Amino acid sequence: MIEIKDLSLHLGDFHLADVNLSAADGEYFVILGPTGAGKTVLIECVAGLHRIRHGEIWMDHRDVTHCAPEERNVGYVPQDYVLFPFLSVVDNIAFGLKQAGLKNRDAREKVQKMAGLLGISHLLHRDPRSLSGGEKQRVALARALAPSPRILLLDEPLGALDLRTGRYLRLELRRVHRELGLTTVHITHDLMEALEMADRVAVIQNGHVEQVAGPEEMLFHPEGERVADFIGAPNILDCDSCRDLGQGIMEVACSGLKLTVPHEGHHKISKVAILPRHIYVSRTRPPGLSVNGFQGVITAIKPVNNTVRIWIDVGETNLMSEIPTYLFDEMELAVGQEVFLILRMRRIRVYESRS
Amino acid sequence: MFRILRGAGGERVFRVATLSALALLALFFIGIIVSLLAFTDWHTFLAALLSEEILFAIRLSLVTATVAAVISLLVAVPVAYAISRASFPGKDIVDSLLDLPIVISPVALGAALLVFFNTPLGGAIDDNFIRFVFAVPGIVLAQVTVISALAIRLLKSTFDGIDPRYEQVARTLGCSQPEAFFRVTLPLARDGLIASAILTWARAVGEFGATITLAGATALKTETLPVAIFLSLASADVEKAIAVIFVLVIIAVAALLAIRRIIGRRYQI
Repeated sequence: MIEIKDLSLHLGDFHLADVNLSAADGEYFVILGPTGAGKTVLIECVAGLHRIRHGEIWMDHRDVTHCAPEERNVGYVPQDYVLFPFLSVVDNIAFGLKQAGLKNRDAREKVQKMAGLLGISHLLHRDPRSLSGGEKQRVALARALAPSPRILLLDEPLGALDLRTGRYLRLELRRVHRELGLTTVHITHDLMEALEMADRVAVIQNGHVEQVAGPEEMLFHPEGERVADFIGAPNILDCDSCRDLGQGIMEVACSGLKLTVPHEGHHKISKVAILPRHIYVSRTRPPGLSVNGFQGVITAIKPVNNTVRIWIDVGETNLMSEIPTYLFDEMELAVGQEVFLILRMRRIRVYESRS
Repeated sequence: MFRILRGAGGERVFRVATLSALALLALFFIGIIVSLLAFTDWHTFLAALLSEEILFAIRLSLVTATVAAVISLLVAVPVAYAISRASFPGKDIVDSLLDLPIVISPVALGAALLVFFNTPLGGAIDDNFIRFVFAVPGIVLAQVTVISALAIRLLKSTFDGIDPRYEQVARTLGCSQPEAFFRVTLPLARDGLIASAILTWARAVGEFGATITLAGATALKTETLPVAIFLSLASADVEKAIAVIFVLVIIAVAALLAIRRIIGRRYQI
């Protein structure tokens, strides 16, 4: 378990102000915030990489505020992984084990086990520089996990990966977390990543913790305008009926829209949510077969920062879409116009009824 | 005035101009070497090369330069690391101070060392500890003084190029600060270390100004290769001077080729 108490820190452009957070034993805790919010600095404080003058950090009821990184027993996976280029994959993973004084045979056994857990047994004798992003990520994870840390710290672990690899690794990370039961702190700027992976989410902006909550509560009840702005007011639709199409796909009727959603579960779907940025708008009918494609009428347009919000009457409801300003300028949309929209299937979040 | 050089025509003129400068300089160096070859014949060259005096100078140069390079690297590694990583008040001043030996004439450095050994402290060291003035240790000291600044400069840029996060990750994996330095930073700096060792060593072999001022120019005693050229020319023995010049050229070319090979395979991730 990790407790951060009244932590304040100034470091160049970054600052943390009175941060109070705690992650329970075995919890998957996600810190969510925009670039430059101080997430990395915060996780580095937990790893022991900054001298702390104000506040305290406790791990398992032990004050580690002034402990060196090597005395904290944390596994740390930095952004870009920072694999040692002069060591092979196997020696990278064994690095912490050798440091702990493990005998060669025991270390080799542990490396094999970690490689098996992360599915990288075939990479062990490769040069880390020759690996793909996803492979590097797993090696870095194996290296951090090998010395059996009490806590795992992940700095934007999926940020540098392409979408498909990232999506796959999300599931992998959750699986590894389940198998090891390790208290994990994961930082990201990606809302969907946070909502999908976290037991609890903390939203941090400008070095302040704005809200700590479970993913659903964060989505449906953001506290304060800044969190709401960052999360971006999702479209939430109540659903009446659903039908299993097999292969993890369901068809649901929500507010007069027949939606196809990815879902595997036994309960009825009560609500779906989709973020404005995941609704595509087009003046012309999109070519080819479109899943979740609809037709609607624009009711309002409002520019916000670098994006434009568009409200569209569709079915029995009104959906908000958000598109980049440059795209909006190309499309020449106006209120009252009829448009086509697509709700990206993989981005729709599904909520089951509790009953 | 560069307006008339617009477009493809200007491009051609510019390329011809820069390439001509390159060709001219290359011809200049080739001309010098050819003139050396023209001046001597193979027989006298070999005889001069294998004379006792020159063999002594080669041996003395190689030994002193190697010792000097080792000493200056042992000093330069911690110094360069400290300047690269630590931040302390007055760091800029210290940093510039360490560059002084690079820009100051080596003769001035040698003279300053000579003056130092005439002070009570310097005199005591010279009399009771190691004799530097007009002696072989003086050669090493003169070389170390000149080349350690170079070694620090080269190693600092090596350490600057190593992301501190490597050490941070090593620390979270259980390394203490010194362990992280030896297990991660030094291996990462390996190419830079080898390159600066070769470069400082080659510079030590060629060192003349500080050496002759502090250690003197006694034949068969403190006669390094550059000093041998000086002594040969002073006694109008041009063949011998040419033989030594070729030895120095061969050492320099070998050193530069070695560095090219090392720098050609830099670590990248």
